[in-house]
Order: sequence, then structure tokens, then C-alpha cells
Amino acid sequence: ERRCSSLQHKSAPFSCVTGQKQTFSHENWFLSPEEYETWDRLYRIKESDGIKEPVLPRTQFETLENLEEIPQEGAARELSLCEWSLWQSRPFPTALVGHSEPCHHFISAMEMMEHMRQEQGDCSYGRELQPHLCVEDVNIPRNKRHLRMAKS
Amino acid sequence: MAAAGDGERLLLTQRLKAAVHYTVGCLCQEVEEDKDIGFSKQSIAAISEITFRQCETFARDLEMFARHAKRSTINTEDVKLLARRSSSLLKYITQKSDELASSNLEQKEKKKKKSSAAKGERTPGEKEAAVTENEDSNMS
Repeated sequence: ERRCSSLQHKSAPFSCVTGQKQTFSHENWFLSPEEYETWDRLYRIKESDGIKEPVLPRTQFETLENLEEIPQEGAARELSLCEWSLWQSRPFPTALVGHSEPCHHFISAMEMMEHMRQEQGDCSYGRELQPHLCVEDVNIPRNKRHLRMAKS
Repeated sequence: MAAAGDGERLLLTQRLKAAVHYTVGCLCQEVEEDKDIGFSKQSIAAISEITFRQCETFARDLEMFARHAKRSTINTEDVKLLARRSSSLLKYITQKSDELASSNLEQKEKKKKKSSAAKGERTPGEKEAAVTENEDSNMS
């Protein structure tokens, strides 16, 4: 448990800010009075700051029953993951942590969508794959079978 | 030799992508009918490419989860772990997994009844063995 709490301290932003006089003397998970004062003065968002509290969007499923409650906070600023989508078709710089495989998949998908943006009507992706479709690989619903045949 | 293998691999990839693309098209059509909206061909293509790539991530994670449990066979517990981040998703997947397990159990039971009817009555010891076996398969 001891190691765990010291890790907690190291990952806290204060270990960097108050570098010189940093002592790991206090064994608490909570901020010391000095740390609290620094947090309150420099980082804490107050009403007088005139900025909204940042919150992350909550997961919500369109097709499932949602168990987590979504608080309706009008006063908060929800951090957007799609506002800068135009920037996301190439890898952003990294510091210590490289891009993961899923991250690269995401970038490629954004790149692909960028390419398809200009397309009208017919889709190059579908055209390219069409000849490779094997009927035994897919499940054609009985009631839809004639419908899809008519459509394609 | 290696070039031929790569070519074959590419063909397999294309075949799999085509199957995913077709299936995504069908699923999108259901959503279209349900929500009364339309998907452009490009949006269906994007969803299927994302699905295809997501499968790669799933496969890698499942393999790691199984290995983490010192197994080489992926089971339903590993699949549940994929959904661990969202309680809604986890509940849904767990429910489906339970349904599957109970229907498997039912089928096994039916088979047992048939075979035991053919062989005649089981001895009590055999019956007990069958019960524990079922419990085991229910656990996994």
C-alpha cells in the first residue's frame, strides 16, 4: 500500500510544480495545506474565472439500455472529441507515449473518410470489394433476400 | 513464395472485408427502416472499414486476455472483458452469454436424455456425474 500511495504522489501535478521543496514526508492521499493553497490559488476553477468547468462526454448507447445516468450540466464545458476531426487524418506528435495500434486504425479511418468526402453517389470502396464477396461468408435474412436482390 | 503468400493474404483480406461490408450494409438497412433515415454508400463503407479494423483490436485483446488466464482457448469470459469499460455494454454482453450458456445446457440435456433412453436407465452414480459435468460447462 505504501508504494501505491507514493505513486499517487508522483503522478500528481504538484510533484512537478513544487519540485525543489517536494518532500514525500506526508503519507496522506489528500493534499497538504500548502498543496491545497497552491491548488486553490493557481488551478482551481472559480466562478470569477468566467470559464466553464471542463467535463468529458459520458458514454451513451443508442441501441442499448443506458445504466449510467447522464447529468445535465449546462454550466460545464463538454470536451469535444470530434470538433477537430479535420486534423485527425494524420498522427499528432507524441512525447513519451507512442501511438497505439487502435490509434493508427483511427487515423487511417479518418484518412479514408477524407478521401471519400469528394465522392458522389457510387462508392469506390464498395466497388473494389464487390468482386471478392462470397455468398457463403454472409448471412442473408430470408425475408430480406428478394429485397436486397432487387436493390443491387 | 513469400510474394505468393502475401497475394493470398491480400485476397483473404479482401474477401473478409467484402463480407463485413455486405453485413454492415444489411445492419445499416435495418437502422434505416427503424429510424427512417438514410446512409450514404460512403458512410456504410466507413463503418465497415472501422468494424474490420476493430476486429483486429478485439482479436489481439482476446488473445492477451486468454493468455493472461494461462489459456490458449478464448472463452466467453474474455469476450466479457472486452466490454468491461461500460456497465451498459457489459450487462448486455453478459446477458447474451448467459442465454447462450443456458441454451447450450438445454441441448446437452436433450442429447443426454436421448442417449440414456437408448441405453436404458442410468445408475445413480452416472446421473451424478452428468450433473457435475453440466455445472462445469455452465461455469465457463
